[in-house]
Amino acid sequence: MTAAVAQVGFSARRALHQPGELAVRVLFYAFILVVFAALWSAATRANGGSIAGYDVRSLLWYVTAAEGAVIATKPRMIETIGWDISSGAIVTEMLRPASVVGLRLAAELGEALVRLACALAVGGVVAWLYVGPPPSAAAAALAVPAAVLALCCNLAAQHAFAGAAFWLRDARSTWFLYQKLVFLLGGMLLPLEFLPRPLADVARALPFSAMAYAPARLASGHVDPALLAEQAGWLVVLLACAAGVFRAGERRIEVVGG
Amino acid sequence: MSVALQTVRTAFLEAWANRRGFWFQVLIMMVNDVAWVIFWVLFFRKVGALRGWDTHKVLLLFAILTTCTGFGLGLLANARRLGELISGGGLDAALALPTNPLAYLLTRRVDTALLGDLAFGPVLFVAAGDPTPERAAVFIFGALCGSIVLVGFLVALGSVTLFAGGRGEQADLGFQAILIFASYPVDIFGGLTKLFLFTAVPAAFVTGLPTRLVSSFSWPEAAAAAGAAAFFATLAVATFNLGLRRYTSGALWTRA
Repeated sequence: MTAAVAQVGFSARRALHQPGELAVRVLFYAFILVVFAALWSAATRANGGSIAGYDVRSLLWYVTAAEGAVIATKPRMIETIGWDISSGAIVTEMLRPASVVGLRLAAELGEALVRLACALAVGGVVAWLYVGPPPSAAAAALAVPAAVLALCCNLAAQHAFAGAAFWLRDARSTWFLYQKLVFLLGGMLLPLEFLPRPLADVARALPFSAMAYAPARLASGHVDPALLAEQAGWLVVLLACAAGVFRAGERRIEVVGG
Repeated sequence: MSVALQTVRTAFLEAWANRRGFWFQVLIMMVNDVAWVIFWVLFFRKVGALRGWDTHKVLLLFAILTTCTGFGLGLLANARRLGELISGGGLDAALALPTNPLAYLLTRRVDTALLGDLAFGPVLFVAAGDPTPERAAVFIFGALCGSIVLVGFLVALGSVTLFAGGRGEQADLGFQAILIFASYPVDIFGGLTKLFLFTAVPAAFVTGLPTRLVSSFSWPEAAAAAGAAAFFATLAVATFNLGLRRYTSGALWTRA
């Protein structure tokens, strides 16, 4: 546990010492917000000021939180983990007297928290400049821990997903698929209320909504603390999945050989 | 020219060596593209037509975008990695060869996943773009001009590393910016942003203008698309060659 906490600190400092990469990512996020501000302004104006209960202010704050929570994780993390597993590089990590997946999660969490803080700070300014303050201060306050939980859920799910590489020879490109599941079923591109009812019900029942929709729905002014409880529940499940997959995968390497 | 073609062929054979991996990556990218199509269908289903754009027209834009990225960045994969190659010493290996270093670097590698885009774009055009011989010809012309603008812009940005040093971060940012802006209908943007998209980040020339040409062709706009392609191609070559005069060495020896 102490090692994991120390790892979070180390990796957070590492992220801060790579200002170029951090700046590129945050500026990319700012570009996305500019695009979505234009898109949703035009869309709400064409629909009498509101779509599915969202006006332009709540939609832009929705996008700010959803994109911020997702962009804080490395987009190709599944590919990197898959490569480490398939190349055998992970074997050296198994020699350490600590959980492989635990330390990996801690390292990613440290970097991701720095990116999340920077993204939300910049995103908050951009959204404020375009549409003014968040629709509800209370909901916005809940959106911050929800964004952190969203990040943790996403990291745990990516590790569980990437663990397939213990059995498949090349599972690296599957990050594309995972990313699209978060984009569409996670509510990152569109609020789930915009989806056809059956699809929205399916999306709400899946863990991807905990990674984007939950903080975004709160940031858009809907005070719904139950979303945080849902996220916490999914986090426990996803962490257990990631730990289980890695435990089984490591056992397989020990038996079959890397 | 023949050297460039031979290099592309070698790059293809290299990607083709792992056939299962090749098809898997192509397929994954096509699935990725389908997800974007679903997004646009859902968006316009909820929002309705927007400043003259509907599902039909935005799918045409997406067909052009995927063809441009597939052609420009799938076949010339190093275009977006030029800054990284320069900072990593990859340029030194290319300079030692008896061929044009920029042409060699650009044709040295194909991006297998983006070849999925190259397959998907024309298929989407046939499925959703009301293809007629005239529209197909304009589609090819527009996608070609858009690809040249895309590659030219990225090469020019990557070549800035020759002057300014660094690890090519500006090219990364340019790539992300042009891709995101090119993915959305140009008419949703207001005056200043629109000006930005026709100048600093020329995303409008990659998808906006070609889409308008396919929808309603006009000679002045076709000339503008061709002019933009010529301008960005010249800018890329000039920036690279000027930077090369200042370049000494990455002090690293690698394979380009």
